Amino acid sequence: MIARYFPAMKRERRAITLAAIILLQALCAIFFVGDVIFDLSHGDHLDDLHLILEAVAALALCAGVIYLMRELRDLLNRMAAMELGIRAARGEMADLIDAFFDQWRLTPSEREIALMVLKGIDNDSIAKMRGTAQGTVRAQCTRIYAKAQVDGRPQLLSIFMEELLNVGEG
Amino acid sequence: MSVSSTSDCGRSGARSVAVWDPLVRLIHWGLALTIVLNGAVVDEESALHEWVGYVALGLIGVRLTWGLFGSRHARLSAFPPNPAAALRHLVALSRGDTTVHLSHNPLGALMVYNIWATVLFLGATGYMMGTMQFFGVDWVEEAHEIAFNWLLVSIVLHIGGVLFDSWWTGVPLVRSMIDGRKRVPRDRSVE
Ligand code: HEM
Repeated sequence: MIARYFPAMKRERRAITLAAIILLQALCAIFFVGDVIFDLSHGDHLDDLHLILEAVAALALCAGVIYLMRELRDLLNRMAAMELGIRAARGEMADLIDAFFDQWRLTPSEREIALMVLKGIDNDSIAKMRGTAQGTVRAQCTRIYAKAQVDGRPQLLSIFMEELLNVGEG
Repeated sequence: MSVSSTSDCGRSGARSVAVWDPLVRLIHWGLALTIVLNGAVVDEESALHEWVGYVALGLIGVRLTWGLFGSRHARLSAFPPNPAAALRHLVALSRGDTTVHLSHNPLGALMVYNIWATVLFLGATGYMMGTMQFFGVDWVEEAHEIAFNWLLVSIVLHIGGVLFDSWWTGVPLVRSMIDGRKRVPRDRSVE
């Protein structure tokens, strides 16, 4: 299953399941509370054992619903915080890339191509997207690699991978 | 070209924000289902009509409870009923303002409270019809009828409002009630 590899998706699904359970349990709780009130108003008394049990069950259901609602809210808050973190990390990655590009003094068109290279787009597609000849793209790539002092695509990528993996080791 | 300007959007040029949690969505479509069932499918005289009505009341009860301490955009305090703000919203619209509201916009908020109140009123009058005291009392039945017609008008306005706002702000709202995420075009300001 794909969800196993994507924690975010798994959490999303847990939230949906939790919400469905909350809703069903809440409707049950309302039913039992209504039933107890109905019985009370039709002459039954709280000293009847059956009614006492029913009332306790109704209260327990209500408490469960409130508790699960708090769980769901906390889960949703955690999901929102994580999304924010990922967005921040993306922003930092973008800043990092910008900083390297500045350092290598890439021209604006070289920056565009270098970004496409980082995204894994092949020369053929880059040429098509930019409406230029393949030879032009190849020449520009060679200049980018030279400015970055790397041998080619994999090494260019590894510069950024290294930065990411070194986080925490200073 | 700056890298950061294209970083968090993928290809669409919109950023997507989780707004409607699963509980809000389940309750919304559940409520819509109960209204359709009781309005068009289930026999009005049947016991099922009453049960569907109780479920609708229950859904709103759960939603209001969730509105007290639930997720951020679902909280009632995120969209307080405020006629003055709704009026200001209308004026802003007429001036071409396309600000996106992550929770309900002030006008939508009024409609939401109106729909909830109307359904609660329908439930109350429906319940009264089944009691000894009010069985066969004309004004109760009439109130139930009038409230239902009002609910129909409200729902037409509600769906119209949703479609209008989707077109006006460019946020696909119906989709947000399905997968929970509002996709906000990049050039919109957000409240
Ligand atoms: C019987 C039918 C319906 C009823 C009673 C109803 C009622 C409601 C209520 C009470 C809310 C507020 C949700 C909350 O905060 O919990 C809401 C929101 C919403 N509804 Fe409906 N609804 C109905 C049908 C529909 C339909 C058919 C659509 C789709 C076209 C729709 C789309 C939406 C959307 C998109 C929102 C969120 C609007 C926003 O972002 O502010 N509804 N509806």
